[in-house]
Amino acid sequence: MDLNKKNLSCDLLIAGGGIGGLVAAVEAKENNPDLDVLIVEKQFTGYGGKANKGGGVLQYFQLDKITPMDFLKFHVNEIGGYLGDQELMLKYVEMNHELLQKMDAWGIVMPRNEEGNYFMMPTGPFTCMISVDLDLCLKMRRVAEKLGVRIIDKVTVTDFVVKDNTICGAFAYSILEEDNTFYTISAKQVVIATGSQNYRVGAMWSSGRGDGIAAAYRAGVEMRNPEFGNFSQLIRVGSHGEVVFGENFMYNAKNEHVTENFTDHRQTDICSLAIREWYVNMVNGTGPIHLDYGPDKRDVKAVNQDWQRPYGQRFRECRQEFTNQFDNDLEVVPLLIGEQSCIKVDHDMATSVKGLYAIGDASYCGSCAPGAVPAPPARNRGSGILNAVFAGVLCGRAAAAAETVAPAEITEAETDACIEKTYAPLYKEEGHNAKEVIELIQQAMCPSEYSVYMKADRMDEAEKLVKQAKELAADLKAVDLHDLLACHEAEAMVLSAEMHFFASRARKESRGWFLREDYPEMDNENWLKWIILKNVDGEMTLSTEDVPIEKYPIQLPKKD
Amino acid sequence: MIYTNHKIEFDPDKCVGCQLCYKACFVDVIRWNYEAKKPIFKYVEDCEHCFYCQSVCKRDAIKVLPDPSSERLHQHFERYE
Ligand SMILES: Cc1cc2nc3c(=O)[nH]c(=O)nc-3n(C[C@H](O)[C@H](O)[C@H](O)COP(=O)(O)OP(=O)(O)OC[C@H]3O[C@@H](n4cnc5c(N)ncnc54)[C@H](O)[C@@H]3O)c2cc1C
Ligand code: SF4
Ligand code: SF4
Repeated sequence: MDLNKKNLSCDLLIAGGGIGGLVAAVEAKENNPDLDVLIVEKQFTGYGGKANKGGGVLQYFQLDKITPMDFLKFHVNEIGGYLGDQELMLKYVEMNHELLQKMDAWGIVMPRNEEGNYFMMPTGPFTCMISVDLDLCLKMRRVAEKLGVRIIDKVTVTDFVVKDNTICGAFAYSILEEDNTFYTISAKQVVIATGSQNYRVGAMWSSGRGDGIAAAYRAGVEMRNPEFGNFSQLIRVGSHGEVVFGENFMYNAKNEHVTENFTDHRQTDICSLAIREWYVNMVNGTGPIHLDYGPDKRDVKAVNQDWQRPYGQRFRECRQEFTNQFDNDLEVVPLLIGEQSCIKVDHDMATSVKGLYAIGDASYCGSCAPGAVPAPPARNRGSGILNAVFAGVLCGRAAAAAETVAPAEITEAETDACIEKTYAPLYKEEGHNAKEVIELIQQAMCPSEYSVYMKADRMDEAEKLVKQAKELAADLKAVDLHDLLACHEAEAMVLSAEMHFFASRARKESRGWFLREDYPEMDNENWLKWIILKNVDGEMTLSTEDVPIEKYPIQLPKKD
Repeated sequence: MIYTNHKIEFDPDKCVGCQLCYKACFVDVIRWNYEAKKPIFKYVEDCEHCFYCQSVCKRDAIKVLPDPSSERLHQHFERYE
């Protein structure tokens, strides 16, 4: 199989054509039409990623009834555990209507009633959700192409090239045998829009394989909040379909309501205490846990009633038919979703490397906006898509306005070295299969008592599995390009799990979503800090940054 | 998930070669046969039963047959007993 080599150049390279990448491309072009923008997407831009896979709901703030500060206060106290960047969260809330207007102008369908207002559903004391049709990325692709954005599909970005802490481009390869091209892409600025790490566990989250995060880590980009990549969701045991709103209705085998009153407000998105309740009941012999919605079933029925979303309708029907077929009872178990999103970024979504940005699910926790909670959805229903739009807009504007110079040259020798490293598993006679590695990482990350309700001795067990996985990952064999991609993704999963446990061990407290059985209290004296991980000459190093709470509007509760 | 047992039924007679299913698959299960102008369900073992290929096909040529019992959740049920 002959390898084609191709050199490309552009002003702005966007790795990942999900909703975040598309918005960044369009925003950058709208602000600076002369910019040469290129999207490189592993699957197909418009269909790839997560924005079309799920609920299709968007967080909506009724800014005529509440102020952004009202929501911030609620969020910091009840969800974010004082660990958030309050300025960024405030900006996100303030821009809510502006972002929706932009989406409207780009042709994204968000259903409205006869008076022209969005159909709204309350989701908490200060939030509502509205709906969006699932062709949003297809709409954005059309807008991007009209503006002259170039798009290459079925090509995966494998490494970022950084010199003197400044980006100069990226390497990428086609995953199709009929193309078999290796790309050297020289770029003045680069955006990482490759999504989060989901460890190939939850079906609909399966595109989140963390390889963009891993490439950033290898290039020396700083990571922040990697320990908040342990999101779990309740699923039905029959279909393995996720249950929204379920945590409020969890009953054990003795028919005790195990999650009664454990949060102040009834919330739409699961909290880690509910996962802990599941585990505690299981080990105490009072499991399994089932849901009992009671007679009115209002939370279940309310969703989707008025929402007309023609494109997503067929998809929804197929999924409904499937869950109806398999769900015979209401037993639930937690499933790891992950969502590690730890690339550290500032308020322009710029990383610690000059000219390199990270947006959406790649940097949600790294931005610190959500605080002590894995994101998305960060217990903030409908914030995943909107955060990607928010981050895409901020980054697109910053990239359009940035003063740039020609990037440092990527030499032939550097390209050849990357080719050799990238394709090495294809030329091995023998070696391990990527799935052996992924299996071990799943065994380390999935058990709720390893990754969600943590304790030092249980983390020892999990880290042993990660270590085994790392050893196998050093000797992988691939049979074709699809398999080669799986090898690179498996390596990224090993790194994500390592980062998770390294940072989780360090954080000796419980805060927000983050729960340790051996350190059950929030420790503001020692741990009002963000954990930073960085690759220094192949070593994972840990440092911390103080949360600058003194400059934020919402302060810690006063001690009694 | 890995090591699953989901299946896909494909009726080539109904297929008109529009490529939508090929584009819609977010995890590279489906490849394209340029000669036959038909999809190839090449990596079914990696199918996540998202149903996108089935739902975008206007000709009803695809049916996804999931087997959730083949998906392992990796919780320690055996330890809890
Ligand atoms: C089942 C489900 C339901 C959801 N429901 C909602 C909801 O109702 N409301 C809401 O707001 N949010 C929801 N979310 C979350 C939301 O979809 C995401 O937060 C959002 O889509 C993130 O956008 P993104 O562009 O950052 O990342 P993604 O959508 O993950 O896109 C990343 C893109 O990058 C590509 N890529 C990955 N690696 C590479 C690489 N190395 N090189 C090139 N390309 C690469 C991927 O193929 C993908 O297309 C849901 C998610 C899921 C899975
Ligand atoms: S979507 Fe249907 S008609 Fe189109 S190529 Fe696929 S199977 Fe054929
Ligand atoms: S169901 Fe989803 S994952 Fe499976 S082949 Fe179809 S599009 Fe791909």
